[in-house]
Amino acid sequence: MSAASRPAERLDVRLLRWADWICDRLYSQEFNPLYQSGTIVVVLYLVLLVTGLWLLLFYRVGSPWESVARVTADPWIGNWVRGLHRYASDAAVIATAMHAFRMFAQGRSWGPRALAWVTGCLLLLLTFVCGWTGYVMVWDTFGLLLAQQGARMLDTLPVLSEPTSRAFTGEQPLPMAFFFLNLFAHIGIPLAIGAVFWLHLHRLARPRLLPPRRLTWAVIGVLALAAVTSPLVMAPKANPLRLPQHVPTDLFFAFWIPIVDWIGGGKAFVAAGALGVVLLALPWLTTKRDAHASASTVDEQLCVGCNQCALDCPYGAIAMVERARGGDTLVARVDPSLCVSCGICAGSCPPMGVGPPGKTGRDQMTRVRRFVTEPARRAGEIVVICCNQGAGTFADAYGEAGAAPFPIDCAGNLHTSVIELLLRSGAGGVLVLTCPPRDCWHREGPKWLVERVYHGREAELQARVNLARVRVESINSGDRARAIELVHTLARDVATLDRPPVEDGLDEDGECASAGVEVGQW
Amino acid sequence: MVRLGLERTIGLVFALAVVAAIVWASNAPTIIHGSNHGLLRLAWSARPERVEVCREQSAEDLAKLPAHMRQPLVCEGTSARYRLTVRHEGRLIADRILHGGGVRQDRRLYVFHELTLDPGQTTIDLRLDRIDDPGVLVKPGAKQPVVIETVPPNLAFAGPVTIGPREVLLITYSPERRALIALDQASAR
Repeated sequence: MSAASRPAERLDVRLLRWADWICDRLYSQEFNPLYQSGTIVVVLYLVLLVTGLWLLLFYRVGSPWESVARVTADPWIGNWVRGLHRYASDAAVIATAMHAFRMFAQGRSWGPRALAWVTGCLLLLLTFVCGWTGYVMVWDTFGLLLAQQGARMLDTLPVLSEPTSRAFTGEQPLPMAFFFLNLFAHIGIPLAIGAVFWLHLHRLARPRLLPPRRLTWAVIGVLALAAVTSPLVMAPKANPLRLPQHVPTDLFFAFWIPIVDWIGGGKAFVAAGALGVVLLALPWLTTKRDAHASASTVDEQLCVGCNQCALDCPYGAIAMVERARGGDTLVARVDPSLCVSCGICAGSCPPMGVGPPGKTGRDQMTRVRRFVTEPARRAGEIVVICCNQGAGTFADAYGEAGAAPFPIDCAGNLHTSVIELLLRSGAGGVLVLTCPPRDCWHREGPKWLVERVYHGREAELQARVNLARVRVESINSGDRARAIELVHTLARDVATLDRPPVEDGLDEDGECASAGVEVGQW
Repeated sequence: MVRLGLERTIGLVFALAVVAAIVWASNAPTIIHGSNHGLLRLAWSARPERVEVCREQSAEDLAKLPAHMRQPLVCEGTSARYRLTVRHEGRLIADRILHGGGVRQDRRLYVFHELTLDPGQTTIDLRLDRIDDPGVLVKPGAKQPVVIETVPPNLAFAGPVTIGPREVLLITYSPERRALIALDQASAR
């Protein structure tokens, strides 16, 4: 599922890389808010929940504007909490849009991930509707404007026996039931958001819900600061018999009002519906039909039932089941409807018995064998194993720096035996450049690779490998200069080490036997 | 280190700028009604009169029906249509045919129409006239049906009215008075 398979993504990916690079510089990889847009939305939802519950204590359906005005007039807590509630909702719209853009650009929105895309679109819609009800609750001039324009759109539905617009003409005061229903919706929609959110994450193993703690508090802090320094001003009470000249408008939730004014409620309703359908179908509209890679397969003869691939799969696509022909151990079984073909299972399997076609450990070893016998190889050179989605985008630059690029689909896909084989075949050092951990297109690639190389996680890099010659670094796909700098640094460091002998005619069968694979299966 | 500090400072400034932009966009002073025009709003709902066409079924027709469905008189009907005309200073500014709401047009009649007018005193002449005859409402020999309050066949509102700048003059139907009445901010209070 590479970017190249989706022509519409090319521009998006370039834009994303550029923005990521800027934010990496300004905030560091760990705290880059662009990588954390999804988890920031969760933080903002939590802020909305807490502040909303507090505001609910003071809201009166019998006198909506007056009760909100009382809260707003309290300079110590009321105004501040209401401001935080409002700005958090605005920020949630921005963060959601950023998250959706990233998921689309990175091709993480279709195939087995389509459920997440569809539910994400639904979450965005629910957020807008919830915001609408929230502003109508206040019943100031902006609330009336939203109610009137929303009713104009709604009235185009042929199922309504009475036009809703008539409720806001001023013929009679709005009944308390309207505000009660609106309040009910404003409380009920977040519950629906919670349910849809559960579906949104349903296909992820170990979903990460919150950003790093410092970033969490930074987001809350900066919004709280805005609430304190820019206190909300109460707009005049809604009066259907008065045409306000200026209305303080929240553009995040009312951007559609000029459109309704311009083309009319009916056309705007149809346009909104069409836009929603296009948004839902966008991943499919911009993806080539044959672009979906094949799901992982399991070689039952090689599988030793260690369970590691099932543990490492970021999508919960692998389960351990009884062997069809019986046996002492379980065997891995891949659910193709959940598998995104990331290949992380290939990196997690010591005997190299699982992975998508062309990406298994055995396929990687075959590639390495071809690679090390290429005429261009020089003994002692640095090999840069770079992720195609990240540092692999400027693979040519490594040649200029005197290193040899070895691109792979995802760092998490990399089997540690590849590193070992490269070193034993004469490479002076191996630099693995992963995407930033929070920006892995396959979620957990860099995390598992680091575990396998440095912390002995299953399919670990063997202890006989000199770790001084291996380096795993995460890098943004726009940071060419740093990638080259890392190559030079590793080259300098390995130059001080004794050069190991090149091992010709490696006994790979023997090596595999030590990894649990029967001799003769290479 | 100095460069890193500079980058973090720029990052902080940038974050504050983004939040400032959010705050501004959250309270953007949008001009909704830039001019001083007033608005004439016609808005009401009322039950239209029912128009029925009745026919007597022949003995032959009745014989084809099951015993429990044999009715000598069958009536089919819909709601009457009305014509709404609005004249401003003698000039026709709206002329519409109104019919009952719903897919079968047998629900209440709704009027919702807005016209922008210059502020000041002006003359409005508004008429609502039934187009269709109501037809037979009571079947011969049948029990007197429950009378449902319907809008009168002819309604009119004529006279000078005053519309203030950016004010709405609402003309609506009062079921109590069975007449069209004008409401503005002062009278609504």
